[in-house]
Amino acid sequence: MSKETFSQISPSEFFYRNRDLAGFSNPTRSLYTSVREFVENALDACDQKKILPDIYLSIKAVDAEQSDPKHYVLTVKDNGPGIESKHVPHAFGTVLYGSKFGLKQARGMFGLGATMAILYGQITTNKPVTVKSCSDGKAADEFVMLLDIQKNKPVILKHHTKESSRTGLSVSIVLEGDYSKAGSKIRDYVSQTSLITPYASITFEDPSGEKFHYGRIVKEMPPAPTIIKPHPHGVDVETIRRMIVDTHYQIPPVDNKMIEKVKKELGHKKSFTTKDILERAQKKWSDLSRPVRTIIAVMSFLNVDFSGLQKIRIDDLDVANKKITYWDFGESQSHAIDLDPESPYYKQLANTVQGDTLLTFLTKRFQRVGSTTAEKFCEFAKFKPERRIGSMTNEELVRLADALQKFENFLSPDPSCLAPLGEEPLSKGIMKFFNPEFASVLQRSASAYSGFPFVVEMGIAYGGDIPAAGLKVYRFANRIPLLYDEGSDVVLKIVNEMDWSRYKVKGDPPLVIVSHICSTRIPYKTVGKENVADRPELERELKNALQYLARKLAVHMSRQGAADMAKKRANLYAKYVPLISQFATELSGKKKEPNYNS
Amino acid sequence: MKNNKSKTRTAEARKEKLLSLLQKHGLSIYDNLDQGKFPQFVIPSRSVNNIVYDKKLRQYILGNSNAVRSARNMSQLRSYTQLAWLAFFVNRLVREGKSSTLRDIYYSSQAFSIDFEDQPESDNIIVDLEAVTSSPREDFHIFPEERSSVFGDLTIEYTVPGYEGKRMNLSDHPDGYLIGPSLSSAELVDTSAELVIAIEKGGLFTRFVEENVHKKFKSIIVDTAGQAPRSTRNLLRRLNQEMGLPVVILADGDVYGEHIAMVIKSGSANAAHLRELTVPDAKWLGVWATDIEKYKLPTIPMTEADIKRIYDLQKDPRYQEGNWKKQLEVFLKLKRKAELEAFSKYGLTNITDKYLPAKLEESKSF
Repeated sequence: MSKETFSQISPSEFFYRNRDLAGFSNPTRSLYTSVREFVENALDACDQKKILPDIYLSIKAVDAEQSDPKHYVLTVKDNGPGIESKHVPHAFGTVLYGSKFGLKQARGMFGLGATMAILYGQITTNKPVTVKSCSDGKAADEFVMLLDIQKNKPVILKHHTKESSRTGLSVSIVLEGDYSKAGSKIRDYVSQTSLITPYASITFEDPSGEKFHYGRIVKEMPPAPTIIKPHPHGVDVETIRRMIVDTHYQIPPVDNKMIEKVKKELGHKKSFTTKDILERAQKKWSDLSRPVRTIIAVMSFLNVDFSGLQKIRIDDLDVANKKITYWDFGESQSHAIDLDPESPYYKQLANTVQGDTLLTFLTKRFQRVGSTTAEKFCEFAKFKPERRIGSMTNEELVRLADALQKFENFLSPDPSCLAPLGEEPLSKGIMKFFNPEFASVLQRSASAYSGFPFVVEMGIAYGGDIPAAGLKVYRFANRIPLLYDEGSDVVLKIVNEMDWSRYKVKGDPPLVIVSHICSTRIPYKTVGKENVADRPELERELKNALQYLARKLAVHMSRQGAADMAKKRANLYAKYVPLISQFATELSGKKKEPNYNS
Repeated sequence: MKNNKSKTRTAEARKEKLLSLLQKHGLSIYDNLDQGKFPQFVIPSRSVNNIVYDKKLRQYILGNSNAVRSARNMSQLRSYTQLAWLAFFVNRLVREGKSSTLRDIYYSSQAFSIDFEDQPESDNIIVDLEAVTSSPREDFHIFPEERSSVFGDLTIEYTVPGYEGKRMNLSDHPDGYLIGPSLSSAELVDTSAELVIAIEKGGLFTRFVEENVHKKFKSIIVDTAGQAPRSTRNLLRRLNQEMGLPVVILADGDVYGEHIAMVIKSGSANAAHLRELTVPDAKWLGVWATDIEKYKLPTIPMTEADIKRIYDLQKDPRYQEGNWKKQLEVFLKLKRKAELEAFSKYGLTNITDKYLPAKLEESKSF
């Protein structure tokens, strides 16, 4: 292990010191952000497994008599897939541990926010987080944990298992918050979430015990997004570096399934010692699959058997310094072991780490890059196609990233990773939510900015139960309501630039616009993720959608105008003609009134 | 003793004419409705560019353009109904011999679910019906609030209910007789007078009665109380036309006085849709601008509004020639005015003893 002369800070500590960035700047905002993070995680989990979400959210004051800001218990329960018991401590007790690193549209990116909320709760109240999870529909595990901020690892205070027949996850934290100020935003957040997630049922119980229930409006989930590889235009040096580092995670995750696979390939035996494993592996080496070879190479260096392997996590494989670093769960500490370059297993690991050739890297790791395009790109970027990407220097990586941005012959990004809500559910949501006299929705086809695909969905609603208090815009991004910083948002800009009088909309109309932007990366203006920047590609799509809907509205308004006029006319004649008839009858000296109805 | 020349019962005839006209309109509306058609009124346009001066008739009249108010037009339906109601209501008033005022009409409408927003709106509908029937509202038994008076040897015969056939001489009461609904609808029977003197002011009217002007000059004295109301103008016309009496006018020596005389003589633009309100041969005795100097009358200075009024009248076609034009010019030059009472400087009877005979003498030559 190299000696540390500088003190290193863990990710938890980093977030602790910079919590303002993540939306935990004050008790009001923190309470709101925590609600958001947990609810969004719950919805994402259900989406992934195609489970119609049932979300229960409650906020309870620890001591109702105190004045704000004070301690609150925040609980979010879902009916999602749950988390496997052994992953629970890490998932909620480690910052930067998550399951969302693939590239597809999801509400949150990496699941960082939930841990941040737990961290914030712990900082402000020194109370542990309680997580209940059932992933198999048989047993539920309950953990009560604290985060060790300096070491970025969980400290389990209590753990017990109960029987449970339903999968799902429940997270409960105690945090300092100010509900009197955050309440209206939280209620808006919950109600607007129900609008953009019409397939979910959401219940919110506020500190006073009042329940806000939003039932399920549609019974079908929108099609799930597929996880796709990044588009070359959408990556930067850091992403490439991470993708290359990812290659060494071709040291595959060691779970029961993988161990079964290794056992199967080696030929089943009741129990394996480390020696048995290596002997068998050597005999069968050429028949073994690559992941199995890698696992065995690791086992040879660490000198562990299967049960030993399950107690550790490989953290780093440093080929240059010939070291392997791993985390031992049992001892709760990190170890580094030197690699013997003479060992026959060293080459196996080194090759794994040095990774693919540039050509393979491009075609395998990026979307919509075929070998022809990849070769053309290599020529453009002046790299040899057979160059191994694990061996590239920093300068070369920068040059590569730069070339990926500049090369113009890549196909446009694949939108299959996006999950727009769809016109029908959006329309139903709007009808249920606003009960308007007129509504129309539109889903634009996919477009892209800087290598990130996006889809704009928009709805317009007029009249009915909507109060005539002027135009109101509901903004959503990746099915998340955006409530703060409305003024600087691109959607607001587009809506305000419209000349509404051209569409027969006057005064303070009872008019609502619902805008939903879906993208693998929403171009937020700030870290707070509340307002979307005005990218020209995005502006164009929003504008086209809005104009289309406004035209529909104008047609409705004309029809409505004509109908109103006819009604008014009928009313007027019904009122005046009998009078005229009465006067004319007396004036003309007739006895009987004229028959004017025919 | 002058008798009513025509011997016809004029007031009765006018009433019958109006009633049959109203019935005609009623039938037209009735038939249209019965045939499923939209009824309509044709109303002579009273817009400024349709008001023209008729030199032959010596009054303002309406030109040829008409406005159609139809029940077909949604925006006119309400005012159409108001007009139909008024025709209906006037028919009742006239048949039952009841009288009403402008304000009364506004309130009466509410009993029939006819909603006028305010009195100006109902006043306007009354003018519409005047234009449609070419009859003044007094014929509808609708009278304005202002009243003027008459005094002199004139025998009338009432036609109002309860007084039908009853006769009355208008010299029996020295304060004069109000020119109200019953007098306006009465028949003029006979008179010994040879002249009608219309005078602008109530005070002078009383003085004239006291000074026996009606006897000295064999005249009927009419107090116009400022600008003469239509019923008064109509009475002046009937005295002139039916009884063959010349009409002379005495008014203040200012631009308004001159115009009071002009309106009696040839009507106003506001009443261009009506006939039979003018006395084309009436003579303006004074006070003229030139009289102010001639009789050395005490004067008061004109206001800016007075002067503006002179400029306005100078654009009127009737002031383009003769004495009318000349007097306006002298007023403008003097920039001072004199009231009828100014003669009192030379004694209370100066106006009846000196001025009136002199002007009557002078009037024979114009």
